[in-house]
Amino acid sequence: MKAWQKGSLVVALLVLVGVPWYGSDVLVQFGISTLLLAVLAQGWNIIGGYTGYASFGNSVFYGLGSYGVAIAMVQWHLPFGVGMGFGVVLAVVFAVLLGIPVLRLKGHYFAIATLALSQVMAAIVSNIPLAGQNIGLVLPPLNNDRLFYELSLGLLVVATLTIFWLTRSRFGFGLIAIRENEEGAAVMGVNTTLYKVMAFALSGIFSALAGGIHAYWITFLDPDSAFDISLNVKMIIMAVFGGAGTVLGPIVGAVSLSAISEFLSSEVTSIAGLFFGIVIVAAVVLMPRGLADMFRRFRKTGWRYFSENIRAHKL
Amino acid sequence: MDLLAQILVNGVLLGGLYAVMALGLALVWGVLNIVNLAHGAFIMLGAYVSWHLYTYLHIDPFLGLPITAVVMFALGYALQRGLLNLIVRAPMFNTLLITFGLEVVLTYLAQLAFSADFRTINPSYAGNSLQWGPVTLPVARLGAFCMAIVLTVGMWLFLLHTRLGRAIRATAQNLVAARLYGVEPRHLYAVTFAIGIALAGAAGGLYGTVSQINPYIGATLTAKSFAIAIIGGLDNPLGVIVGGLFLGIVESLTTLYVGPTYADVASFGILVLVLIVRPTGLLGKTA
Repeated sequence: MKAWQKGSLVVALLVLVGVPWYGSDVLVQFGISTLLLAVLAQGWNIIGGYTGYASFGNSVFYGLGSYGVAIAMVQWHLPFGVGMGFGVVLAVVFAVLLGIPVLRLKGHYFAIATLALSQVMAAIVSNIPLAGQNIGLVLPPLNNDRLFYELSLGLLVVATLTIFWLTRSRFGFGLIAIRENEEGAAVMGVNTTLYKVMAFALSGIFSALAGGIHAYWITFLDPDSAFDISLNVKMIIMAVFGGAGTVLGPIVGAVSLSAISEFLSSEVTSIAGLFFGIVIVAAVVLMPRGLADMFRRFRKTGWRYFSENIRAHKL
Repeated sequence: MDLLAQILVNGVLLGGLYAVMALGLALVWGVLNIVNLAHGAFIMLGAYVSWHLYTYLHIDPFLGLPITAVVMFALGYALQRGLLNLIVRAPMFNTLLITFGLEVVLTYLAQLAFSADFRTINPSYAGNSLQWGPVTLPVARLGAFCMAIVLTVGMWLFLLHTRLGRAIRATAQNLVAARLYGVEPRHLYAVTFAIGIALAGAAGGLYGTVSQINPYIGATLTAKSFAIAIIGGLDNPLGVIVGGLFLGIVESLTTLYVGPTYADVASFGILVLVLIVRPTGLLGKTA
């Protein structure tokens, strides 16, 4: 990384840190939800982007993190930090117990199994009295958006640094090897089961922490919103739109899509969801490797970039 | 005992409908290798086509099924030819994403066009039922079940014994070889997808006669269709009958003995278990 790139990253970070001091309330709230979505996209990036396992179960981690905080604070009257820890423990236990059998599946089958797991978890939680069943839980309110903002930003920085570490560590290379050719990776001495479960758990920890912050910020959660599948799809779209398997791509994707969607929903509410669907369809057809790849190659190929993508995948 | 018999019959009637829901999904998955996350949305659209035919043109939902199927066939053909053929050779993840995008678009369009209100298709015989020993058979559910069996068996015969059916199966086995024998893949893929969507539409029409519909029913129906396709395997259309009946009975029994809120736990839990133990389906060939 060149010096000016490092410099601009530091400046961008300082600008972001300062938002709650000079930005409006609306901007700070938009910031919190966008930062949390970016954390989720980065979390998905670890298992989906780097390891190549298209997880539709990351919303389970998010839900477990939310419920970890909510149960600890509402039912046991413990502080927020303990709840976050509890959520992380739940996520890691889930990642290990269910990751081991489910990560043996490949392709569609893994995607569908994780999709089904998130449905099962929502149904199970809505039957647990400790978790408030269908009604959900109401957390004690804390009117401190500045704190939530800085927490979310800090979490995003940690998640991004973790991914940066992946790109230059033995563990990260092992994950990329699994993505490119799992048998090959195993032959080269990568303990594929261990690496995959660790990637799943790592991805789960970040999703759970994001869920915990979100639960305390919103102060209410129920099974439907905590285990919402469309949230899982959102994080995938954001990661893929920006560039899955890159360090900054998911952040770019999360910020740009949130901004456009926020703008649209302030203009015409019902169009925002429709827009999301259209972006997904268009992005998969025209730029399946995301904005990061487009910026890199567009300079050389120009508009042909899009037609070449289509030609590569059409029948 | 009477109660158990009634529950089993309810499960079987529901299972037939489930089978035809999953039939199109399994066909598209098996032949095109596209896992269509928008499948449930197409079922929802089919239900709305049927509802409009019944409400505005007073066409009986069962007699209107062919019209629904033709409308959905045209939509499916256009979508595959114009859009999905562009990404058929992309990694599976891209096809998952694009069909999810379609699901979102269809759901929102349906919400704009039809509003979020619950609708029902209520022909005059909707409340009637037959008495068979101690067991009550609601006429609409029985009709839906019979139609579902006819469609599934018809599909099986079509794939086995017609020229087009053989072309579809050949393409599923080996695209290159099928091409050498004169199969035009762009058209054939579009026809296969269109048949899958027409079946989804028909399933939607049947679903509308036994249950309430709104624009958001799609996602759950997609998930159930998966479960059925996985349990039955993708190799044989008759597999979905087994998968559908299995899921219908399990859901009915769970509702009775454990509680209605656990029905989804049972069906999706079974899906995960089957995937882990036998990823090619309970009836599928071992890889």
